Amino acid sequence: MMKIEAIIQPSRFDSVKEALLEIGIEGMTVTEVRGHGRQKGHTEVYRGREYTVDLLPKIKLEMVLADALVNRAVEAILKSAKTGKIGDGKIFLSRIEEAIRIRNEERGEGAL
Amino acid sequence: MDDPVSPLTVLGPQCDAQRERIRKLFDNGASAQDTLRQLCELADSTIQQVFAELLRVRQLMSQGFCLLALGGYGREMLFPYSDLDLLFLFGNEKAEEEFRPLIAEFSRTLWDLGFRVSSAGRTLDECRRIEEDNAEFHLAMLDRRFLDGDASLFEKLDAKVLSGPERQARPFLLNELQRLTRDRLNRYGNTIFHLEPNVKEAPGGLRDYHSTLWMRQLAGDRRDPRISPVNEDELTRNAVEFLSAIRCFLHYGNARNDNTLTYELQAGAAERSLGIDDNLRRNAAEWMRLYFRHARTLNRQLLRYMEQRPPATISLRQRLMNATLGGKPETSNGKPFMVRDGLLELTNEQAYADRNATYALLSEASRTGVQVSREAERSIAYIMTHPELPQRNSRVAWPVLSEILGADFPGNALRPMHRLGLLIEVLPEFRSIDSLVVRDFYHRYTVDEHSLRTIEHLQELAEPPDSRGLHFTQLWRTVERRDLLILSLLLHDIGKGMPVENHIAGSLQALETVADRLKLEEEEKAEVHFLIEHHLDMSATVQRRDIFDPATVSSFATNVVTHERLQRLCLLTYADIHAVNPEALTPWKAEMLWRLFVSTSNYFSRTLDRDRLHASDEAILLEQVRQLAVGATKVEIERFLDGFPRRYLAVHSPAEIAGHFSLYRKLGAEPVQTEVKTTHHAFTLTLLSADRPALFATIAGVLAAWGMNIVKADAFANAAGVVLDTFHFVDLHRTLELNPGEVARFQQSIADIVNGKQALEPLLKGRLAAALARPPKVAVPTTLNFDDASSDQCTLMEIMTQDRPGLLYGIGSALSRLGCNIEVALIDTEGQKAIDVFYLTVQGKKLAQQKQDLLREVLNATLS
Repeated sequence: MMKIEAIIQPSRFDSVKEALLEIGIEGMTVTEVRGHGRQKGHTEVYRGREYTVDLLPKIKLEMVLADALVNRAVEAILKSAKTGKIGDGKIFLSRIEEAIRIRNEERGEGAL
Repeated sequence: MDDPVSPLTVLGPQCDAQRERIRKLFDNGASAQDTLRQLCELADSTIQQVFAELLRVRQLMSQGFCLLALGGYGREMLFPYSDLDLLFLFGNEKAEEEFRPLIAEFSRTLWDLGFRVSSAGRTLDECRRIEEDNAEFHLAMLDRRFLDGDASLFEKLDAKVLSGPERQARPFLLNELQRLTRDRLNRYGNTIFHLEPNVKEAPGGLRDYHSTLWMRQLAGDRRDPRISPVNEDELTRNAVEFLSAIRCFLHYGNARNDNTLTYELQAGAAERSLGIDDNLRRNAAEWMRLYFRHARTLNRQLLRYMEQRPPATISLRQRLMNATLGGKPETSNGKPFMVRDGLLELTNEQAYADRNATYALLSEASRTGVQVSREAERSIAYIMTHPELPQRNSRVAWPVLSEILGADFPGNALRPMHRLGLLIEVLPEFRSIDSLVVRDFYHRYTVDEHSLRTIEHLQELAEPPDSRGLHFTQLWRTVERRDLLILSLLLHDIGKGMPVENHIAGSLQALETVADRLKLEEEEKAEVHFLIEHHLDMSATVQRRDIFDPATVSSFATNVVTHERLQRLCLLTYADIHAVNPEALTPWKAEMLWRLFVSTSNYFSRTLDRDRLHASDEAILLEQVRQLAVGATKVEIERFLDGFPRRYLAVHSPAEIAGHFSLYRKLGAEPVQTEVKTTHHAFTLTLLSADRPALFATIAGVLAAWGMNIVKADAFANAAGVVLDTFHFVDLHRTLELNPGEVARFQQSIADIVNGKQALEPLLKGRLAAALARPPKVAVPTTLNFDDASSDQCTLMEIMTQDRPGLLYGIGSALSRLGCNIEVALIDTEGQKAIDVFYLTVQGKKLAQQKQDLLREVLNATLS
């Protein structure tokens, strides 16, 4: 089992969600986050006040998938989240030791 | 040791059979009231039999010992799986010692018979003491009812032992009850709107009703809360019956004391039309609408008693009868209301037969933020529905409603209006969303509640409770035509209650009838139309588009057109998201919304000269102006319009443009044309003239000389070099307001000075010095920025500085002295801060760096 963590542009969220749904992935956790990599923020001036955006708003998606689905999910995210500009985001993969469904205590890939 | 006579052998099956019978009757449509009564009778009878049997077996007499029912059981409201709250009362410690062994067996027996017993034991002496850390017990004691045992002991308790201590403890108990109630309401978010409400504990649940009864009792109302006062209304009775039916249904369905009305059970209740007498079939959402209406009734009543007004010594009906027989009306300051203990109270109830009095009260609430007391609402509700005083002036005019909606606390008027049915009277279209449920896990509130909450979230911006609102505070304070914004919020979701595919289309349909009834001006209706039609645009842009992409901003701005409308749309979006549920407007979303606002606002002020009118492309406008401007040709109108920034169209209606064109046609006879109009507590000066040096500064100087404070201005020029300047100003000394004849002299003064027939400086002498001598309330530092990138032809200069009389004259004069031409100007004020944007050229070109530096130096010196 692998955990996929993807930081994407907020404007790409709907497309990514659709793309994952198309390959049968419905369960995910979505968080509104802020951050930056190489994409730097900028300063906007409004009525004499400066508003510096150094941490840009992003969306973080997390999902734990059976090994067999991981590559397809990554491809789907890459395809739908990409705009080609700095700030498109990143995908991280990590191995998960165990998953347990709280309702019936089912374990392993069956709990996903 | 086995008891030779076990009640179970007889009573057990009897109780089970009775319970089954009562349940069947309920399932077949028996009322909740009957069901509760029968369950209570079953419990009473069982307790009496068990008690008698145990006394017999132990050969005891009940002297010095009795059983009391407390709480819900004492009130004879015993639900299928509720506990039996019992008090074992002993005459003295000796009696307690004697009867204590019986209690354990008594309780065990009842448990075996299927009754859940919750009991306490007290001696008579112990009952005298009010335990300050056990207020709940004493509140439950208010509902005490004799069950069995020594009746004289109970009489002694009731008439002698408790009467003194209870009377003395009333203030304490009332305080404790209020505290417990506030805690409970807070736990449930102070709202009746829960997707899966707890029908006992949540606001609007049965606990609200019980708490109301206790408060009335403690405040000195009748001793027995079950005897309803004469005017306990049918609404309350129906609400209690409805919620009691639900609670019975939940207990039977869950087979335990679980009072949560889950989604699944809502569907089940709707399926069997629970609590409803008519034969109409309803789905779960429609049935829940009834639930919320009843919950609202009980919650309102509780909140009224929470205000702790002492009951009137004579009934409202009697007071009105006395008044109609010629009693002298009381007023305070000539108004039929006053503020008492922080709430608006009526001083002359008779006056409220005239709706104007009610709207004056509501206007006061909206203006000052003082709440209308529940007692006042109750009085108005009574007057509205009873025939002793015939109603007058029931049709409200738009100016009256506009004043309420445009004030600082519109929610303080709209809430009571909704409770009183006045909102639906003014906007019958609102009925379609009254208690309308949206069944999804995102929308917390019914649609009407959501609409009212949007307005309350905006008025909260005056002092935002958390960081989400911080940026938007200034927008709320400075937004123009707040009344139109609030009206848009009231109407924006009305379509959800209409049989239409798209709720926006339905809401726009409703706007047609509203606008017609209220006789809105065309521009007012157009603005509300836009806000309703596009109320989801900003939210959609924030969530689905890259708001840091200039193309996104430009596209959005093109749709919104003006900064003023952007402000309204932004506030509407903030409020709309915020009122979906308490978590919907995350700090993240609020910030994204703010970013989009800033980017778009800057786009407006930095691209004014990019998009100029090509009049021949504006066929509809040309035709509209031609029809309004008698005798004009299309060519003439085109020549007038060509070259104005597109903002000119956005901020002026076709009728206004036609008016400007009429002035333009007179320029041949008189080279300076002016028009002065009064608008919403201010004035507007429009001036048309051929461009000339220092024109803007001169006009600003004349206004300053006359003591006018400029709050907003636009300066435009068309392709032919005709300048159209609009100044919105406040008449600080009320010169024009109190002397209408001076308006003509004012206009002549402008024309003479602009034409050079009169000097400006003598008029200004003394005026500016006097104004500068007054220190500002809030110090605003000066910032000055130049921007060569936003415009192809001009250098933008943005100044933020302390607003003061004569400021614009000072800036304009400095610009003129340094040879700068003002192509476009946008002047605005926020409180004490002046925000001015100038598009400048020198000899038709952008300002060189040297010129910018010099200008900066001069202006900093001028403005310091």
